[in-house]
Amino acid sequence: MQLEYFLLVAAALFCIGIFGLITSRNAVRVLMSIELLLNAVNLNLMAFSNYLDAQEIKGQVFTVFVLTVAAAEAAVGLAIVLTIYRNRDTVDMEQFNLLKW
Amino acid sequence: MQFFLQTIWFVPLYALMGAVLTIPWSPGIIRRTGPRPAGYINLLMTFIGFSHGIIALQATWNQPAQQIIIPWLQVANLDISLPLEISPITVGAMVLVTGMNLLAQIYAVGYMEMDWGWARFYSLLALFECGICALALCNSLFFSYVILEILTLGTYLLVGLWFSQPLVVTGARDAFLTKRVGDLVLLMGVLALFSLTGTWNYWELSDWAATAHPDPKVITLVTLALIAGPMGKCAQFPLHLWLDEAMEGPLPSTILRNSVVVATGAWVLIKLEPILSLSPITMSALVLIGAVTAVGGSCIAIAQIDVKRALSYSVSAYMGLVFIAVGTGQNDAALLLVLTHAVAMGLLVMSVGGIIWNNITQDLTQMGGLWSRRPISALAFLGGTAALIGCPPFGSFWALLNLADTLWAVQPWLVGLVLLVNALTAFSLVRIFSLIFGGKPKQMTVRSPEALWLLVLPMTLLLGFTLHLPLVLESVALLPNWVNLNKDVAMLLFWSSVFGCTLSGVIYLGNALPKPVQLPSKALQNLFAYDFYTPDIYRFSIVFAVDRVSKIVAWVDRFIVDGAVNLVGLASILGGESLKYSTSGQSQFYALTILIGISIIGAFLSFPHWSAYNNVFNFGL
Repeated sequence: MQLEYFLLVAAALFCIGIFGLITSRNAVRVLMSIELLLNAVNLNLMAFSNYLDAQEIKGQVFTVFVLTVAAAEAAVGLAIVLTIYRNRDTVDMEQFNLLKW
Repeated sequence: MQFFLQTIWFVPLYALMGAVLTIPWSPGIIRRTGPRPAGYINLLMTFIGFSHGIIALQATWNQPAQQIIIPWLQVANLDISLPLEISPITVGAMVLVTGMNLLAQIYAVGYMEMDWGWARFYSLLALFECGICALALCNSLFFSYVILEILTLGTYLLVGLWFSQPLVVTGARDAFLTKRVGDLVLLMGVLALFSLTGTWNYWELSDWAATAHPDPKVITLVTLALIAGPMGKCAQFPLHLWLDEAMEGPLPSTILRNSVVVATGAWVLIKLEPILSLSPITMSALVLIGAVTAVGGSCIAIAQIDVKRALSYSVSAYMGLVFIAVGTGQNDAALLLVLTHAVAMGLLVMSVGGIIWNNITQDLTQMGGLWSRRPISALAFLGGTAALIGCPPFGSFWALLNLADTLWAVQPWLVGLVLLVNALTAFSLVRIFSLIFGGKPKQMTVRSPEALWLLVLPMTLLLGFTLHLPLVLESVALLPNWVNLNKDVAMLLFWSSVFGCTLSGVIYLGNALPKPVQLPSKALQNLFAYDFYTPDIYRFSIVFAVDRVSKIVAWVDRFIVDGAVNLVGLASILGGESLKYSTSGQSQFYALTILIGISIIGAFLSFPHWSAYNNVFNFGL
């Protein structure tokens, strides 16, 4: 097993997340895509920590932090979505284009 | 006496002081007393100047010319000083100018009776007096040019005195622009001359000309430029239309203009004669211009029905004779002609002005039969006529004789031309006389009392001086010596005058021809009556070209230069207006933009390393 395969899987996951982030119409699914991104990052961190820094495993520490921050962010994100839903009765991203030019 | 001679340069200053002191009586400043004190102040100032000039003239008589130098400006190695020449000729010219202006101002007191604009009128008259006296005095081409330009501005303002009349406005415009063009070309000559000679002093110029051998082409161009100024000032072809249109101005100023102001150009020309004679082409051009103007002007004068215009073309014609005199190197004849023409023409204009003043019309075809009721004006007109044409023993006879006598030896065909001009002018003046004073009274002249004493007094004074002019000339030894004279020329001159007068008298006083007289060719008559259609020639040549070019330039400026700059602004606006749609309001779109940005930056940053890591990403394929 090489580092590259982990990195490639993580990159693939990241790209899938990006694709979901940009194309989803549902705001919740955008949040889910962001979770995918963060998990791709976590996978990277774990892989690097395992292959390059087996002694001090700083990557794993980072991963723990990222997980906690991601949880908080998802909570706030959902709160925002909920607030928007209360006002506008929809979670369709295409309806949220009020702040244009 | 010497004190008055040394302070002769006060004379222009008196007039200038009068011009300034007049201004408070403008209707907008002193509102209660009326404008008359303005005229009286100027009369006083002019009288002081005249007396000063007379005393100085006695002091300067038979004395050598002196020069006073007043420093004006020293910059780097250019020293522009104002030299004043004090000689019998310059002081005499100043006496002539102040004397004519004194008479014209007395005349104006009567003529401008019903006018409110005395302050403007008299201050401009005084400005003219000041300018011409300063021109007579100054011995520097540069300051002559300065004064000529000030006088051009003065002409604009004086012709435009009654600016509520549309023809006055166009006349003043033409007078300014036409003379300005001549002056500007003169400026080119003045500047070019300095680089050749290093001086603008007339005496030094004349010394330079005595020994110089400049490049013929250069000196020809320079001298041609130098005659362009006097050409415009003296109303010579083709810059003559302004004098015709300047007849829209008030008549008392016309006295001054016709007699003295147009002679300012001739004065400069005479002073420049040593330079001009360096170039034979220029001298021929002078003779040609003078000849064309003299013959054309006299022919046009005969065909006019406006009495002021009929006189103004005679002025052009006589200035043409001055050009011929200068063009053949006869400065004395030219100066004498300027003097005799000034008094005679002043007298003619005064006489005619009195007629216009209480017959209202200027149309010769509407006048007639005034001889019995306007004897003084009629005699003044006759006196002026006799003094203007070659009629011995009056003034211009001697000037013309002096001119023709020398021409007889060098260019005999010019004698024929002088005789022709003399005959034509005689015809023209007797025609004016016959139409005004002869025949039967017409509707406009049925009741015509002799004018106010203020108009008659200067007229008779000037008549007296005109009649005494030969005696004056004799006493100062300016008359040609009778023994050396070519008596054939004198007889020819006399007979040409007699011929012109008689023919005109027979035609206009006799009943043989129906009036108004028609030439066999209507087209020819119109050609002269409309002065060779000069306005149309101007309009279709210079005015057309300048107008078209300025319109094109204005168009280029508005649409191409402005357009280019505006295009920049428009492009910025369009850029902003169209690029704002990049702010789509979709946060996902922003995310995409960020992503693309990062990808591009990443690609750029990693580009140098691609080949190095090629194998890493090759996966061994």
